[in-house]
Parts: sequence; structure tokens; C-alpha cells
Amino acid sequence: MSRWIVLSLVIVATLLGATTLTVIGPWSGPEMDKFMPVLQEFEKQTGIKIDYKIYRAEDLANLLPAQFAAKKAPGDVIFMWASFIREYGQKGHILPLTGVINEANYLPGSLNQVKVGKELYGTAYTGKVKPGFWYRKSFFEKNKLQPPTTWEEFIALLEKIKKIPGIKAPIASGDGVGWPLSDVTEHFLITFGGPQLQLDLIEGNIRWDSNIVMNAMTKLTSILEKGYFGEPTEWTLVLKQWWNGDYGLYFMGSWITGMVDNPDDLGVFALPGAKGVVFGADYAFVPKYTQYPEEAKKLIAWLSGPQGQAVQVKQGGHIATAVGIDLSTYPPVDREVAKIIQGVTALDDLDDSIGGEFQPAFWDQLKLLWVQPSRVNDVIKVLQEKAPKR
Amino acid sequence: MKKKILWTIIGWLVGLIWIVPFVGVLMTATRPLDELLGGCWRVEPFHPTLNNLVGAWNHPTASLKQGMMNSLIVTIPATFLPLIIATMAGYGFSRYRFRTKKLLFALVVITLALPQQTIAIPIFQLMNWLNLVDTYFGLILVHTAWGIPWITFFMRNFFTTIPRAMEETARIDGASDITTFFRIVLPMALPAIGSAFALQFTWVWSDFFLALILIYSPEKLLATQRIPLMRGVYHVDWGLLSSAAIIVMIVPILVYLLLQRYYIKGMIGWSLK
Amino acid sequence: MKNNSRYVLFFILPAILMLLIFVVYPVARTVILSFLDSDGQFVGFKNYSKVISSREVFDPAGFSRGFPLGALVHNLLWIAIHLPLTIILGLSLSVLLKNVKGGSFIKSIIFLGMVMPMIVGGVMINFIFDRNLGIVNGVLSLFGVQGKTWTAHPDTALLSLIFGSVWLWTGFSVVLYSAGLETIPKDYYEAAQLDGASSWKIFTKITVPLLRPITVVVTTMTLLWELKVFDIVYVATMGGPGGASNVLALQMYTYAFRAFDFNRSAVVAVILTLSTLAVSLSLVRSVRDEQP
Repeated sequence: MSRWIVLSLVIVATLLGATTLTVIGPWSGPEMDKFMPVLQEFEKQTGIKIDYKIYRAEDLANLLPAQFAAKKAPGDVIFMWASFIREYGQKGHILPLTGVINEANYLPGSLNQVKVGKELYGTAYTGKVKPGFWYRKSFFEKNKLQPPTTWEEFIALLEKIKKIPGIKAPIASGDGVGWPLSDVTEHFLITFGGPQLQLDLIEGNIRWDSNIVMNAMTKLTSILEKGYFGEPTEWTLVLKQWWNGDYGLYFMGSWITGMVDNPDDLGVFALPGAKGVVFGADYAFVPKYTQYPEEAKKLIAWLSGPQGQAVQVKQGGHIATAVGIDLSTYPPVDREVAKIIQGVTALDDLDDSIGGEFQPAFWDQLKLLWVQPSRVNDVIKVLQEKAPKR
Repeated sequence: MKKKILWTIIGWLVGLIWIVPFVGVLMTATRPLDELLGGCWRVEPFHPTLNNLVGAWNHPTASLKQGMMNSLIVTIPATFLPLIIATMAGYGFSRYRFRTKKLLFALVVITLALPQQTIAIPIFQLMNWLNLVDTYFGLILVHTAWGIPWITFFMRNFFTTIPRAMEETARIDGASDITTFFRIVLPMALPAIGSAFALQFTWVWSDFFLALILIYSPEKLLATQRIPLMRGVYHVDWGLLSSAAIIVMIVPILVYLLLQRYYIKGMIGWSLK
Repeated sequence: MKNNSRYVLFFILPAILMLLIFVVYPVARTVILSFLDSDGQFVGFKNYSKVISSREVFDPAGFSRGFPLGALVHNLLWIAIHLPLTIILGLSLSVLLKNVKGGSFIKSIIFLGMVMPMIVGGVMINFIFDRNLGIVNGVLSLFGVQGKTWTAHPDTALLSLIFGSVWLWTGFSVVLYSAGLETIPKDYYEAAQLDGASSWKIFTKITVPLLRPITVVVTTMTLLWELKVFDIVYVATMGGPGGASNVLALQMYTYAFRAFDFNRSAVVAVILTLSTLAVSLSLVRSVRDEQP
């Protein structure tokens, strides 16, 4: 009986309300398939219809400023870089979420990136970890390989993989917009410069041509020069090639577990000595120019709350930013990843946090570094030019 | 004779070089990604599929079906409006004498060569002020203005080559200049208008830059704008991307094939006078 | 020639009005913007010196180190490679295909590159030069050469785009030269053949000189196209890696919509405009000469 009441209520609400919220996010292909259940659950619970549109953050960065200038917005809830949310929140184009989102319900510090003073301009609706180099357990067993515990062992491992017949290169390099390369680079910076270096670079407290950065970059270029990294190849394509055994290792975020045929065959290790790991939260905001501010706030609170995030992590490849989600909600392989972040410093993504002109320059310069590591000094020079300055 | 055969072979080889990329894209669009990892020319295994084409056409968020519709909605008026306005202007420049003629015609010729980048920022600001940002009307206006110089130039050159005897006769019969233009001149000018139509239509359809600055709502995006969007942030699917490329280029290629004679004439007339 | 102002207004005014509002005014505004700072204060040529001395536009260090050389140099390089190829291929292919069975069909194929949207052209170039899927590497592998993704390497990114654009644009010159060939009277050739001239001699002494007017037009139009090139680069490499395939039109866009610096962006736009005007001046002159 009560089911019928609920059902008819939903129908009535749908007919009367007829509110359709537009959500804009970057997820396409298989990733979208893993995100849609979250929205569908919200639709089911509230009767508010949702229209999902794909827009890459890079494209939004071109488009939103113009829209905001015209007092318009293409969607009601938009997924975007934290740096962007902070900047345009301060300029008054974004609805403050203070009071809608309760910081106490989130991992400590996970909302800092979208906070200006006391005002919250966005929220972290899901998170992903970039733990280190992934390998196939079966591949390691077959070739009698072990995850390294020192830098020397790491080099020895690369050398061993290189000698395996049929291998293109020990480490696969993901190309595309540029973030797969920047993720590896950050891992080197954090390992050899310490977690504080990442924070200092984000704040502009330290120069790119300083010794500490150069030291870490030299480690990276030394293995680039030896040909341990493969040629940058479109990252989903190279994922398949790596899985098929063309490469031994692949540096990737935790979402990889949702993208391979058999997640149980995945193993992962960080560079020996890494004391920090990039915990990349994904952020969302509500533009000031939405037609349905109340519904949009409701959606964003639900999405980033425990209910929405529980649906999300169940799909695999995601780590919740909200507290109070039981570990048993995660698929087994993600549970391993969720454990990795315990005991190390969780750090923000470098280029996402800086944003602006730096981000595309960073990506573009790394593409250069990857194919011509001897140009490291030019790369550093450009990065220093574009970096935030104190 | 031997020489002739040699040249024929060379000629066909050149043709082959030019068509190979098209074949490659077609192969990529019609086969699953797994078969392509070793190169699209490997035909072993070979499982043709329409999944990619259908996928691009019905793409859940960058649907080309919608994009193609949108492109038509913009392209048709943005082809006819400048055709009418500029044909009139071309006629005016060829038949009348007036004081500012040289100056105005020089203006037409100079604007003919401008890069779109020159007007990008002010056009955005102007459209914003007119409240026409993110509307097709605004984009159509800009395309119209952008098409006028070359069509005017093209039509003027056409009109200077056709004799005036018919117009004079009509005028003696008491028809006004305007009636003469629509009754007598326009029908005679149809071949030239056809050429201008073919080119303007293709160019507006193919435009990316103006749309990039002026149209941004996801559901309003034109077909060309959706091609870069076929890559998600974390996902590039060559099968989908080549399918999208094929779908988007099919319209101008059809126009070209159907109006080939006019198209080539226009291309020659546009540049050679 | 008649002189009737009422009709002149009717025929010409709509076109002129549209031009003034949507073309002339924006051009003027762009020029003004290039002399202002972000607060609207007049700063003279400061933006210009800033842009021209910036590494994105001109990078002299690149000459000893390799790409990038700066957007300006890249555009010049584009012209230096693309223009001669366009003319040579246009001339030779139009003569060749005139005498070949199925020649007009092959011409239609070559012309397809001109018909497709350039944004699609850019995707095609990506595709041609891709390491795994690309045709270039497919051909190279026949000779046992291990290829690469040509657009991903700084030394080859720009060259790949340029050669790709030759593939796209040759149809233009072939069609124009073919039309020009039709206008050369047959008896010229017959007379030359009677004199025993070789085909090469006929080509260089008769065909090429008589096609000179066409060469002028092909050169002008190709130059304009090379200066404006944008879509191809945007979709294929976004100017990378490390700016190695950046061009002026893209730099203008980057300044405006990445760095949100409309003033520096206007400077690039003005530089582009002046170059195109210089090129098209010859066209204007020929028109003026012929006016009564």
C-alpha cells in the first residue's frame, strides 16, 4: 500500500515539479556508466529529473568565464577544478554552500581547496588516489618480478622488464590532455622532495629551479633518458597495451580498477620512500545563475553526502571524501587502495590546484620532456615563468 | 605509348596516396578498437560494425544527431541571408556610379581577406551587449556579415561580365530598377548564385572558430564543436572520433558532389575574378 | 553606368551596414584594445613589445636548440614549406592528370581535402601520424622502420601538421591550375611539338609562363590560408608539445581565453591582420587599376 503512495507521489511530483536539473561533468564512456547510477538514485529518491552533459574541464575553463560575464550558466551543478571554483566564487559567480555542506562530515582538509575565508564555494563529491605504479600480478609472477623496496631495486626492476622479449618499454606513458604525465611527475616530486614540496609549489613558496625540485626532476629525467618510459600514447589505448603485456608498469590513479577486465589481477606499489600521495578530490559547484537554486543545492548536498558517495564507491575506482562510509561498501581492490592512504600525507593535485595558465603549460611542457628529456632546463624555465609567485 | 602508361600509373598512385587516409578513417570507424591496436590496415581479424557510427550519432552527451540539426539551423539562413544581401550589393557595385564607390569597394575587398581572429574579442563583447551570445541569431548575423565581402566581390565580377541589353529593354518598358533586378537579373545570375551558395554553405558548415566563441550551451553546440568533445576528459575512442569525423564531413561532401560544377566554378571565380 | 542614389542605397546599404557593424567596428575596437592595458589606460606600444619579446611568439634560442621557435616563426616556416609545395604539386598534378585516364576522378579525390571541415582535417592529421593507428607508420613498417607518434615530438610536430595541410590544401591549386590549362589554346602546343620541343621544354616555356596569373592568385590565397591556420592545430596538437607547433591564430586564442588577457590577444590579432592585408594588397591594387 505505502509503496503505491510513494510511487504515485513520485509521479505527481514529477508531473507538477517537472524540474530538470542539468549536471555538467567530464565523465564519458565507461566512466560515465559508473557515474550514472548515482544520478539515477537521486532521481528515484526525489523525483527531480536530471540531464547529464559531458564537458571537459579544459573546455569549461574556456567557456564559463564568458558565460558568467553574460550572467548565464550552462548547468545547475557543474564539476570543475578547485582553483576555478575558488577564483570565480570570489568574483561572485558561484552560490556559497556554507550551511548546505557541513565540513565536519568530510575528511579533514578535503574542502580546503574550495574554501575562501569562511565561505565554501564548492564541495568534494568523490575522490581518487594516485597511489603509484600498477602491474599485473600474473605478469610479475610469470617473469619472477618483485615490487621494489629501494630506488636501486626499482631501477633493477625496470632493467629486468626491459629485457623481457616483446616488451616495448618498462613503463607505459599515458598521453591525451596531459594529466597522466603530470601525475607521474608529481609522484617523483613528492617522493624526492617530500610532501611539503608539493604544498610549497602550489602556494608558490618555492621556485621550480631550486635544488630540491631539480633533484627530483633529475631522478625522473635519468630514467626517461634510459628509455624506461614508453612513448606517450593515448592513455586508454596504452592501458590496453599494458594489460596485453606490451609494458610492465603503468602509473595511474585508482580509477584504473574500474577499467580493467580483472581487477583482482592488479597490484600496485609507490616509489620507495614516498611519504605522500595525491588524493585528488573531484569538486562540484552551483553557479549563481541557476534557475533552480534550491533543487541544485539539494542535489549537490546529496551527491557529496554519504548516500551519494556510497553509491559511487560501490561502482569501483572511487574513494569517498565524506566520512562514515563503511569499508565494506568498496569493492575488494579499492579497499586495498583506501588502505594505502593511511599513514601517508594526503596531498592535493598540483596542477589542478594551481590551475590558470600554469596547468596547460605544465602538461604541454611535460609532453616535451617525455620525448626530449635533455631539455629539462628549458622546461623548468617555462614552468618557473608560469608558476604562481609569492 | 609506354610513356603514357607510366604517367597513368603515376597519376593513379597519387590518387591512391590521397585516398588512403580516408580509407583508414573509414576502417577505424567501422571496426572495434581491439582490432586496431596493430594498425588500421591490418585486416586480420576483421569484424565490421556500425556500433561506432551509431554511437557517435546517438552519443548520450555530444549527440551528433542534435549537432547536425543545429548546424543545419545555422547554416541555411547563414547561407541565404548573405547571398541575397551580397548579390544586391554586387549588382549595385557593377551597375551604378556614385561618389564613395571606390572607397566602399576597397572596404569590401579589404575585409575579404581578414582573419576571423581580428574580430573575435569585440564580436563577443558586442553580442553580449546585444544579448545575443549563445543564440543562433547572433551567430547567423556574424556569418552573414562575414560572407558578404566575398560574395559581393564574386557577384560584382559576375555582373560585369554579363551584357546589359536585357535590363535596358526592361527599363524602356517602364520597369523600375528594383523590378528589373528581381525579374530579369536574378534569374540570369542563378548559376553564379549557385556557386556562391555551394561555397558559403560549406564554409559556414565547416566553421569552428566563430561557433567556439559564440555558442556554448551543450545542447546548442554545432556539429563541428562536438568533434573535440567526442574525447571525454579521460577517454579517447578513435572509433567514435573517426565516426564523428565521417558524419560531420558527409554534408559538405554531398554538397560538393551534387553541385560539383558550381562548386569548382565558385572556387575558381572566388579567387580568379 | 547610371547614377541614381535611391537605387544605390537600396542595393548597397544593407551590405555596407552589416559590414560596418560586424566587421569594421570590431576591427577598429581590436586595434584600440591593443594599445590599452587591462584597466583601459592608453599604454602606447607596450603590449606590442611585450608580445613580440615573449617566448611564445618569438624564441630565438630555438634556432640552436630546436623547436619551439615561436608562433611567428612557425607561421613563416609553414609558408616556406607549404607554399612551394602547393604550387609545385598544383602545377605538376594538373598537367599530369589532364593526360591521364580517370584524371578528373583523381582530381575529385584530391579536392576532397578542401571540402571537409578543417576541424575534421585536424583529426585526420592526428590519425595519419599516430604511432599505432597511423598510415605513415604503416608504410614505414613495410621497410622495417619503427615509427612514432609524429605529432607528439617537438622536432616533428609542426612538420607533421604542415605536410598534413599540404594533403588537405593541394586540391585548391590543382583545381585552379586545371582551369587555367583549359584556357591555353591547343595550337600553342601543336606548334611547339612541330618544332620538336621536348615535353619538359613545353612545360617550362609555354605552360608555366602562361599560367602565371593563376600562380599569383594561388600564392595570394595560399598565403592568406597559411597565416590564418587555426582549426587544424587546435584539434591536432593544441600547439604542443612544449609550444612546438604553436601558431599566431592559436596564440591569439590562448591569450584571450586561457590567460584572459584581451590586450595581448588584440596585439596578435593586429599582427595577423596587418600580414594578411599586406598579402591582399596586390589583389586590391589589381581591382583598382581596372576600375573605370
